[in-house]
Amino acid sequence: MAPPIYSALIISLGLGTTMTFASTHWYLAWMGIEINTLAIIPLMAQNHIPRAIEATTKYFFVQATASATLLFAGISNAFLTGQWDITYTPYTLTSTLITLALAMKIGLAPLHSWMPEVMQGLNLLTGLILSTWQKLAPLYLIYQIQPNNPNIFIALGLLSIIVGGWGGFNQVQLRKILAYSSIAHLGWMILILSFSPPLALLTIIIYILMTFSLFSSFMLTRTTHINSLSTTWAKIPILTVSTPLILLSLGGLPPLTGFMPKWMILQELTKQSLCPLATMAALSSLFSLYFYLRLSYAMTLTMPPNNPAGTLPWRLNPRHNTLPLALTTTSTICLLPMTPAIMSLMPF
Amino acid sequence: MLKILIPSILLLPSTWLTPQKYLWTTTLSYSLLIASASLMWLATPSETGWSFLNCLMASDPISTPLLVLTCWLLPLMVLASQNHLMLEPINRQRTFISLLISLQIFLILAFSATELIMFYIMFEATLIPTLIIITRWGNQMERLNAGTYFLFYTLAGSLPLLIALLLLQNSTGTLSFFTIPYLPSTCSTPWAHKMWWTACLLAFLIKMPLYGAHLWLPKAHVEAPIAGSMILAAVLLKLGGYGMMRILIILDPLTKELSYPFIILALWGVIMTGSICLRQTDLKALIAYSSVSHMGLVAAGILIQTPWAFTGALILMIAHGLTSSALFCLANTNYERTHSRTMILARGLQTLLPLTAVWWFIATLANLALPPLPNLMGELMIITSLFNWSMWTLILTGLGTLITAGYSLYMFLMTQHGQLPHHLISLNPPHSREHLLLTLHLMPLLLLILKPELIWGWNA
Repeated sequence: MAPPIYSALIISLGLGTTMTFASTHWYLAWMGIEINTLAIIPLMAQNHIPRAIEATTKYFFVQATASATLLFAGISNAFLTGQWDITYTPYTLTSTLITLALAMKIGLAPLHSWMPEVMQGLNLLTGLILSTWQKLAPLYLIYQIQPNNPNIFIALGLLSIIVGGWGGFNQVQLRKILAYSSIAHLGWMILILSFSPPLALLTIIIYILMTFSLFSSFMLTRTTHINSLSTTWAKIPILTVSTPLILLSLGGLPPLTGFMPKWMILQELTKQSLCPLATMAALSSLFSLYFYLRLSYAMTLTMPPNNPAGTLPWRLNPRHNTLPLALTTTSTICLLPMTPAIMSLMPF
Repeated sequence: MLKILIPSILLLPSTWLTPQKYLWTTTLSYSLLIASASLMWLATPSETGWSFLNCLMASDPISTPLLVLTCWLLPLMVLASQNHLMLEPINRQRTFISLLISLQIFLILAFSATELIMFYIMFEATLIPTLIIITRWGNQMERLNAGTYFLFYTLAGSLPLLIALLLLQNSTGTLSFFTIPYLPSTCSTPWAHKMWWTACLLAFLIKMPLYGAHLWLPKAHVEAPIAGSMILAAVLLKLGGYGMMRILIILDPLTKELSYPFIILALWGVIMTGSICLRQTDLKALIAYSSVSHMGLVAAGILIQTPWAFTGALILMIAHGLTSSALFCLANTNYERTHSRTMILARGLQTLLPLTAVWWFIATLANLALPPLPNLMGELMIITSLFNWSMWTLILTGLGTLITAGYSLYMFLMTQHGQLPHHLISLNPPHSREHLLLTLHLMPLLLLILKPELIWGWNA
């Protein structure tokens, strides 16, 4: 893609999210989200293959529906309460409608069906933007509306954790697996959002670190299928050590960083006396651990059945910068002892 | 405490920086040095019971024997793995040794933890290196299934444990071992209290393993390479027992009734797994099921919470750790020569390998709890305290002892006595390394006859 167009789209992406962050009026918030959607559409379709166009079209329809619902709910709220402030949503009808519209925007269950399909059609970099940057603005808006009962968040959250785990069971395409992992992690964020928004912030930051390192590892080896994962040892051997650790961190195993958000969320839930919910959420995250484990089996712990000498590719220098991968991988593996320091930085 | 922990951590860089020629010698000698230094933990005459204290770590008479066993086991694992790793590229050898060292670090932190959440995190942290050892260096295709079973059985039990610990922290404000015995018990609704009690114990019962949740153990033990089997049998199972001992202090008023089903399961498991051993064809599976059987007795002992029972459980844990690890090393000597675990393919080995037959004999006698070995001391103390708790357990434990003797003798006679099979023409004689390995296993066991107070726990 020509550099001016590419940079215009990236800047528009930034502009959209920033506008939503800076807004207190429903129109401005909605505009920011629309700019985000419009900016990412050409990025999704950049390589012009039919599968990418299909993904773009599906993404556009879903996001347009959600945006229209969001605008409708914002206007209804203005009609009912007489003002356009996004923080004042006393009526259950409007706040539920806003929550569901934003849930469809980020792909929470039961409004998640578009997510794996769309992710599958994109190249890995756009998929990374979709699963990290595009979640920020809607999550911020969900936090802002401050509904009075957290039941809908708990329902959305628990269902997303279960669906995110169960849906990824049968997948061999890496991008679909990453989509389901995104759904599951978003479930954890929504679960805790009504009780402790700083913890939701912690969860999304840690999730962005982990997903960034995983996407970068896949981008380095250009793998999109479990079968191609198994030749990683011939391309970049060090990735066979780091990627399983990133995957197990995504699964939430101590002593890796991914355990930190789960631990803190479970602590907050037990403080709110929601122990059965906490148990169900914790055990449902074991589903996703199963397919992360399967990926690490394919990558590191087994040898591929083909002739290794015959499939030895040329090991050229990687084309893009590996410093972000190094930084995010280190933080994905080693950050758990920093938990007290990080928790003291959280504004409680 | 740091005198042992920091050298163990620094073994990791030394593994990666040592030249190839000296890798195994260096790791063996330094880990043996650390193991000898760790014996200092055994000298702990302290008023409060806790010694070698700092803010985060301490050792008391229960954790000291397990800590020493952990440190003792690293040089043994290095010795045992040397042969089958010799043919691999040097970096993979270094990775394997690094996994063993990281297991030792996590285990030292787990046994010396003074706070329950630290214990929990280290308990879970031992899963990752063990999983990698089993699935990467195991030899058969079933190792993938074994790794998955191992990880998921343990996690399914330990996630409820995490929630139970967080609940406890909310109501008491702290989870430190120093203050836990003096806290008032947490009262809530009866149903919730029962659930909380079960959640606290389930992880450790699965790890021990209790008979109903034991399916991961034969898979994991059989498919693991020798170092994996050794660390699993000798120490990782004892993590479950140690955790149970620590946490039962706070579970008290409910334990009188709620522990009944688990005691019954444990004792029934002793007999059932013993009977399974009598019909096994796979040597490592036999030793694995014998581990389940002994650990069932330990679990029953810990659950009745009398002083003799705790002492017996601790002694049996240490003695069984050494014995079971020795048996796995012996099974590995068979495996390295015949590349098969089937018992009928390697019969009558006393004719071919008479020196190994001596070790088989001593290890088998230890397994069936021959006096004056500590195995008998542990078993007898548990059986006696169980008899005091209820006379009818004597039927189960007595039968269990009989079946244990039966399958241990079966294992010995099957592998050592009788005629050699016709296809075994010659086998490599036992290496000095293997003799050293078995000496280092069985000599501590024999020495413990002379001073069992070291492993008596709180009754010392």
